[in-house]
Amino acid sequence: MVSENHTINKQKGDVMIVKEWCMYCGECAGVCPRNLIQVRELTLNFNEKECKDCKICVQVCPVKALEKQVV
Amino acid sequence: MLETDILIIGAGPAGSMAAKHAALNGAKVLLVDKKSEIGAPKRCAEGVSKDGLKKLGITPNPRWITSDIDKVRLVSPNGTDVLLDEDKVKLSEMGYVLERKVFDKYMTMDAARAGAQIMVKTLATGMSKVNDGIIVSLEHMGNAFEIKAKIVIGADGPESRVGRWAGLKTSLKPGNMESCAQFEMVGVDMKQPGCLELIFGSVAPGGYAWIFPKGQDVANVGLGILSTKTDKTAYQHLLEFVDTYPGTQNAQPVELNVGGDPVAGLHKELVTDNVLITGDAAGMVNPLDGGGIISGMTGGCIAGEVASKAIAEGDYSKKNLKKYQKRCQKEIGDSFKKYLKAKEYLLSLSDKELDSIADAFNESDFDRISPTDLLKVLVKVSPKAMLKLGKLF
Repeated sequence: MVSENHTINKQKGDVMIVKEWCMYCGECAGVCPRNLIQVRELTLNFNEKECKDCKICVQVCPVKALEKQVV
Repeated sequence: MLETDILIIGAGPAGSMAAKHAALNGAKVLLVDKKSEIGAPKRCAEGVSKDGLKKLGITPNPRWITSDIDKVRLVSPNGTDVLLDEDKVKLSEMGYVLERKVFDKYMTMDAARAGAQIMVKTLATGMSKVNDGIIVSLEHMGNAFEIKAKIVIGADGPESRVGRWAGLKTSLKPGNMESCAQFEMVGVDMKQPGCLELIFGSVAPGGYAWIFPKGQDVANVGLGILSTKTDKTAYQHLLEFVDTYPGTQNAQPVELNVGGDPVAGLHKELVTDNVLITGDAAGMVNPLDGGGIISGMTGGCIAGEVASKAIAEGDYSKKNLKKYQKRCQKEIGDSFKKYLKAKEYLLSLSDKELDSIADAFNESDFDRISPTDLLKVLVKVSPKAMLKLGKLF
């Protein structure tokens, strides 16, 4: 997982980008079929290893703060 | 390792009610919340029924009531409005719009006064079942630690992670999660005070828009959509709505809130060995109007009572906790099944059909304003609704 306000480190595989305007509402965590998203008070952790790329989290976000980027 | 009888994860209204009632019944209770401030930011339009608060034994407090509601205006896509007020409705006891950032803390204070221990800015990160209970791993200010509990109550909102860690199927499909965005605004032009406005149609695909007044010219202006019915985000729909709706032409925002609202009705499994789930995490939200404060607190109260009794009995098995599921199904879930069908029916209507229902409503009489009573009239005025919903209402 990468936050856009930090330096991006090149990684293998798809990367979940969390935009700086994410409001940590937790909706994405509720719809992830594999329970991979941890929404904290001011950060969001995402278990990329287990992700099957359904992109449901990207679809539901009320402010379009998630982006799955193919690296 | 810290040990407790009942660990409750999430100090929103449902979790706090569970903590209060469990503590009142003599259990050792620890209530944790990941936020540094309980109740904020809100992800809620803040409406409750007066009747609901009364049934929960909660005395209204001016510290957390912003306005008194005794009317509802339903607005159809072409602007036809149906005003449900004292003229149209025989009883006018209705509801309040709350200030959740005060209300939630007050509910947690009640839990603390009943004997619950509270931890803020404490995040649950995982759970594992052991012989005589559950070990929950948590984090606070960079320190990881564990708590052993005989019973865990998951009140962690739409995220519902605790339930899933316990093996309960509480994951929501996107078609069952309202994606919502709301501004708290000033300068809102309300046609009259004390009136909730609900706007239906393509302004909010899969949901509806609302104006919930908070006194003077202040109101929560928001909407919920289903991401399966639109390519735009809830926020984009909100901007369009605020831009075109007559009442918000001179309004300015002071707060933006977003969040998900589970509208699939009560989850099928609420209980397993040593674990209960309650509130939004358990789907205790009315599928038709998206309201969940009263139903969540009702479920929380039952959870606290059942869990503390189980502690006293020394039996934390699924079999003994099942009575929680039965009570919730009876007191919350059964009516939700009807509202779910009604919601699915209303979602199937075109803007034109909604307009004609509004016209028919304007010629009807109502006994009370509640989702059930509105639906009873709907069934009377619309032959199609009669076919689909007649048996339910």
